[in-house]
Amino acid sequence: MMDFLEMIFQPLRELFLQLGGFLPNLLAMLLILVLGLLLAKALELLLVKTLTALKFDSWSDRMSFTTLMRKGDLWARPSVIVGGIVFWLLAVVTLMVSLGALRLEAIDLMVTRFFGYMPRLFSAMFIFFIGYLLTGFVSRAVLIAAANSGFHYAKFLAEAVSALLTVLILAMVMEQLQIAPGIVLAAFSIVFGGIVAALAIAFGVGGIEAAKRVIERESAEKRADEPEDEIEHI
Amino acid sequence: MTTGSSILRTEVREQLAQIKRADIVVGIPSYNSARTIGHVVRAVQAGLAKYFPWHKAIIINSDGGSSDGTTAVVQQAAVENFDAILLHHRVTPIAKLAFSYAGIPGKGSAFRTVFEIARALNAKACVVVDSDLRSITPEWIELLVKPVLDGGFDYVSPLYHRHKFDGTITNSIVYPLTRALYGKRVRQPIGGDFGFSGKLAEFYLTKDVWESDVARFGIDIWMTTTALANGFSIAQSFLGAKIHDAKDPGADLSDMLYQVISAAFNLLEEYPDVWMPIRGSEAVDTFGFEYSVGLEHVNVNTARMLRVFREGLLNLREIWLAILGSGDLREVERLAALDDTAFRFPRALWTRIVYDYAIAFHLKKLPASHLIKSLTPLYIGKTASFVMEAANMEAPEAEAEIEKLCLEFENEKDYLTTNWKRP
Repeated sequence: MMDFLEMIFQPLRELFLQLGGFLPNLLAMLLILVLGLLLAKALELLLVKTLTALKFDSWSDRMSFTTLMRKGDLWARPSVIVGGIVFWLLAVVTLMVSLGALRLEAIDLMVTRFFGYMPRLFSAMFIFFIGYLLTGFVSRAVLIAAANSGFHYAKFLAEAVSALLTVLILAMVMEQLQIAPGIVLAAFSIVFGGIVAALAIAFGVGGIEAAKRVIERESAEKRADEPEDEIEHI
Repeated sequence: MTTGSSILRTEVREQLAQIKRADIVVGIPSYNSARTIGHVVRAVQAGLAKYFPWHKAIIINSDGGSSDGTTAVVQQAAVENFDAILLHHRVTPIAKLAFSYAGIPGKGSAFRTVFEIARALNAKACVVVDSDLRSITPEWIELLVKPVLDGGFDYVSPLYHRHKFDGTITNSIVYPLTRALYGKRVRQPIGGDFGFSGKLAEFYLTKDVWESDVARFGIDIWMTTTALANGFSIAQSFLGAKIHDAKDPGADLSDMLYQVISAAFNLLEEYPDVWMPIRGSEAVDTFGFEYSVGLEHVNVNTARMLRVFREGLLNLREIWLAILGSGDLREVERLAALDDTAFRFPRALWTRIVYDYAIAFHLKKLPASHLIKSLTPLYIGKTASFVMEAANMEAPEAEAEIEKLCLEFENEKDYLTTNWKRP
C-alpha cells in the first residue's frame, strides 16, 4: 500500500519541487515584464514630448513622411507614431528578456535567435529609411530638372524613377530580412528586368510611332528655337 | 607688413615680404581667361599709371588652376608704350603677382586671397575686376578707387549700361530684393567689379564663410550685402558698358539661379535684425559721367520661354502649391491660360512669389537646391513678360519698369516680415 501511495505522491512531490524551483523564475519574469513595460511607456511619453518640442511633426510634414503615413491609413501625429514604434520595440525586447528569466531551454533558444535577428531588422529599417529619403530626393530632382528644360513628360519620368528606386530598395530590405531571399531575388529580377524590357518594347516596337513623334517634336522645337536666346541672365 | 592666419603660399608670402606695402591692390580672379586677361591687365596698368602715379600699387592675378596659360599671359602683359597713351607716366613699374590660389575652388577663394594680400600690404584701397572683360578702360580704375582713397567710401559698386533684356536675374530679383531689404539703391549688387577700402577687406576676413558656398559662388552678393548690413559707407560709379567674353553656353540657368538666390537668401538668415525694420530706400552717391552706350541687339525667343513656364506649371504644380499657397497658385494658373500676346506677369504677384520663396527657404520647406531651382519656370515666365512689355521701349522706359518693380518690393515688405516671424 505504501509503495502504491509512494508511486502516486512521488511525481506530485517532484512537480511541487520543480514548481518551487520555477516559481522564482516566473516571478522574476513577471517583474522584468512589468518594470520593462513601465519603462517603455515612460520612454515613449518622454520621446513624444521631446519630438513635439523639436517640431518633429512639422519636419515630417515637410519631408512628406506624414503624407506617406496617411496613405498607409495612419492618422495619428508622426511623433506619436514614432513613440508607439519605440514602445512596442521595447515591449518586445522586454518580453524576450523576461522569457529568458524562465531559464527554459526552448525559450532560451528562441530568445537567442530573436536577438540574433535584431541587427538584420535594424539594418533593414535603416535601408528603408535612407532609401525612402533618397527616392524622394532623386525623383524630385529629376522632376525639377526635366520641367526646367521644358520636357512635357517630366512628371511621368520622375514617377518612373521613383518606382524603379522603390522596387530596388524594397528588394534590398527583403533580402536583408532574409524573407524568402531566392524568391525576392527572382521577383526583383523579373520586375526590374520586366520594366526595362517593357520600356524597350514599348519604344522599340509598340511605341515606335509615338517615339518617332516625340523625337520629331523635340527636333522641330529645337529648329524652331533658332536663333538661340542671347539673354545674359546675370 | 602685417601678418596673421593666412592661406597664402610660402612663395607668395616671400614676394609680399619684398614688396612690404602697397596703397592700392587690384585683384583679378581668373580661370582659363588667357584670351581676355591680357587686355584687362593692360587697362589696369594704364589706369594706375594715369590716375595714381604717386601711389604704390600691385596687381594680383588669383587663378583657379587654369590650363590655358592665363598666369603666363598676365606675367607678359604690359603696356608697350606708355608715351602713346599718357603725357606723363610713372617710372617705377607696377608690381604683378600671378599664382594659383589655395582653398575651395571658386571666385570666393580667389577674392579671399586678394583680401589677405591687401591686409598683408596694409592697402588703403582695393579693386577687383573680372578677367573676361572686353570693355574695361583705365577709367574704371579711377572710378572704383578714387571714391575710396579721396571720398572716404568703403565700398564702390559698379553701375553699367546694359541691354534692357540683359541682367534679368539682377533686374527682377537681386536688385529689387537687396534694395527693399537694406534700403539702399545699389543698382548692380552682383556686378563683379568692385572697389573697397583696406578696412572693409580686413572686415571680410573676420567672417567665417571661407569654407562655405561663399567661397565657391555668391561672393559678389555676399560682399555687397555684408557692406550694407554692417553700416559701411557705399557709393556706386558709372563705368559705361559691360561687355565680356561669351559665357559658357552650357551653363544651366537653374544652376545660376541657385547660386545667386541661395546666397541672397542665406544672407537674409544672417541679418534679420538689420533688414526687418527698414522701410523704403534711399539713393547712394554716384560717381562718373553717365553717357549713353550703343548696345548690340539681343535675340529672345519668348514663345519658347512661355512654353517652359506652362510646362513648369503642369509638372511642378504640387511644389508651387506648397510654396506659394493656393491663392497665388490660382493666379499663376490664370496667367498660364492667357494667350501669348496677352501674357503679362503682374508685379505684385512676382513680388509675392520671390518673398514666398524666401520664406520657404527660411522654413526649409524643401532642400535648398530643389526649392530654388523650382523657381526657374516662374522666373522664365516673368522674363518673357518683361521682354514683351519692353520690346518697344527705350532704355530709360525699361529702367522705369524696373523702378516700379522695386517700389512693389518695398511696399510689400510687410508680407515678408510678417510671414518670416510666423512660427
